[in-house]
Amino acid sequence: MTTGKELVLKALEDLGVRYVFGYTGGAIMPIFDEMERRKCFTFIMARHEQGAAFMAQGISRASQSTADPQIGVCMATSGPGAMNLVTAVADAMMDSVPLLAVTGQVATGVIATDAFQESDVVGVMMPLTKQTYMPLAADRIEETLHEAIYVAMTGRGGPVLVDIPKDVQTQAVSDGYRFDPSAFQPELPGFYYSPAPEREAVRRAVALINQSERPIVLCGHGVVSRSAGEDLRIFAEKARIPIGFTLHGLSALPVDHPLSLGMVGMHGTVEANRALLHADLILSLGMRFDDRVTGKLETFAPNAKVIHVEIDPSEIDKNVSTMVALNADVGEVLRLLARDPQITSQPRRAWFESIEAFRRETAAEVEEEIAAGVGREGRLLMKYIVRRLSEVTAGKDIIVSDVGQHQMILARFYNFQTPNSWFTSGGAGTMGCALPMAVGVKLARPGERVWAVMGDGGFQMNLQELGTVMEYQIDIKIVLLNNGYLGMVRQWQTLFYDGRYAGTPLKSPDFGLIAQAYGIPYRRVTDTDEVGEALRQAVDHPGAFMLELRCDPSEIVLPMVPAGGGIADMIVSKKQIGESK
Amino acid sequence: MSSNGQPKRRAILAFVLNRSGVLNKISMLIRRKMYNVETLTVCATLQPGISRLTLTLREANDAKALQVVKQLEKMTEVISARELDIDQSFWREVAIVKFEGDNNLLAALDQRFPMEILDRRERGLCVAQIAGTSKRIDDFIAAIGKEKVVEVARSGFTAMEM
Repeated sequence: MTTGKELVLKALEDLGVRYVFGYTGGAIMPIFDEMERRKCFTFIMARHEQGAAFMAQGISRASQSTADPQIGVCMATSGPGAMNLVTAVADAMMDSVPLLAVTGQVATGVIATDAFQESDVVGVMMPLTKQTYMPLAADRIEETLHEAIYVAMTGRGGPVLVDIPKDVQTQAVSDGYRFDPSAFQPELPGFYYSPAPEREAVRRAVALINQSERPIVLCGHGVVSRSAGEDLRIFAEKARIPIGFTLHGLSALPVDHPLSLGMVGMHGTVEANRALLHADLILSLGMRFDDRVTGKLETFAPNAKVIHVEIDPSEIDKNVSTMVALNADVGEVLRLLARDPQITSQPRRAWFESIEAFRRETAAEVEEEIAAGVGREGRLLMKYIVRRLSEVTAGKDIIVSDVGQHQMILARFYNFQTPNSWFTSGGAGTMGCALPMAVGVKLARPGERVWAVMGDGGFQMNLQELGTVMEYQIDIKIVLLNNGYLGMVRQWQTLFYDGRYAGTPLKSPDFGLIAQAYGIPYRRVTDTDEVGEALRQAVDHPGAFMLELRCDPSEIVLPMVPAGGGIADMIVSKKQIGESK
Repeated sequence: MSSNGQPKRRAILAFVLNRSGVLNKISMLIRRKMYNVETLTVCATLQPGISRLTLTLREANDAKALQVVKQLEKMTEVISARELDIDQSFWREVAIVKFEGDNNLLAALDQRFPMEILDRRERGLCVAQIAGTSKRIDDFIAAIGKEKVVEVARSGFTAMEM
């Protein structure tokens, strides 16, 4: 007789899953046992469930732009196993990343008795996922998993959870059970998904675009995940509109394109933020006007009309009021716009002249800093390292970043050339994401070089995953930017807390010995002359490599829109900080 | 689009799948987004498996009220949701009131209100039921007199558009 655990694996197989990341334990043992027998997936054992969920995210994020989009799958046992998934699941929700979490639950007979390793996983995950499921009979397992993956991957992506009691895993299906995966259609009368744009709204958007004198495109995550960068380029070149990127919109198209302004927002470029401030039209594509993009809402883009293209209707008019709302798939809208003969090409000379002036505002100061390469006490500057990394890789390699100063500096200075080549925790800002996420990214895109860039704080939050890198021989290049502090919080303390460094300095172990313990070659770099060569050594080494670069803790990420301030309050130069201090 | 002033009373009507966890999700949404919800009622509909949910709240800002509707609609289990037009809809609730009343009071109440006496005990303890607008129920309780009321159970609003 077919049992529940067999159907779990059959469903994943039918859905094209190739990797399962996880950690076993009492309540999930039947599924793991079946997996060992069938050998239909590559199972990757993480060293902590959070690591498994970030690895699964890596698969989803990196493969979404390929011909074969995969959903990342992670598995954990009940209670603590499931609870350890929570942070990375919440992270996937914030960043709209499809993810399937399968957890074992205690047997139905003891649910709600505070049984050993019992937690209300469905209750905990409900507000952090697109949908949660608990199939209570083996007959329900296949349809549940097929529906769950449909929900996770359709429309705005997000995580789903399937919590399966242990007795349901071993239960036999009833007589005459049949399930045809190819004919399955989930019955979801309340699931709203409308990818096709309304013609009338497109017409109104085109009219606004043609009338505008100072338009700007805000390119968001949706453009990357729908692989619509090329259509955006064709449209923007034809209409002559400059493009600013959100954090997750980066790598939609080459960031050194003449129309590119780089990233917008709290640590965006001077030109992107000034352009936003002066724009008369914002065409926002697949993004959600996060507070890190808008700054203070009351003063955001005061003179601009807004066209908002977004697949999730609840995002439209949530933070910023729109003139034209296009609740549709951004890929389909861009396909139309790129080919719409109604779009007129306009020189917009005055607008581009002001943008060139914005570009020049701090360019010399920044280049001077990068040329020096070092800050206080001759310690390396992160922006220098990122510039070198950009040169060594020609901007073509994949970058997986942790959270903090190095993340903003990568977003600002890495010369992204490859579509969908930038992965990081944006909305949730989860430190420790990079090392495990890079494992999943490398497995999804084995032919490309993957760099995992992190600080000394974030690295130590998930460094146990070096064990996974070692065991499965994952070829990632780890770049550890060690400044002995939690740098971004330190920066806020410098600027807004009179330089009291509460809870930010940290003592680290000898990272060389740690790398050695995991059998990963390692090099420490302290001088500017060595940086380029060390990066090339990492490139040339077949297999994982770890570089530790000793950085200047006093480096400040600029520009910066102070929290609670508007974009006009942006600090652009170190000189301004000197004055205010 | 937004109007700042006195919080306006609003009713949102939603049709939802009658599945476990739906109410949990909706109450979590109310807490998470800090909506100022006053009443929430759920009942079955003529269509099996689908429930009717009426939610009333006070919100001055139209955009914020629209967000409540959009966030509800985002849930897979919510088939549709919308705000009712306050001038085109009936809002009613039921109250059960336990109070101490003599024959005179009961006769006076009976004159003014379409109530139903459910039970009457010695020493004048009564249980009465009344249905109607919020104001009618408020008036009914006031007519009894605060000092005589022992307990009040109000259902919260259910609403329907013309």
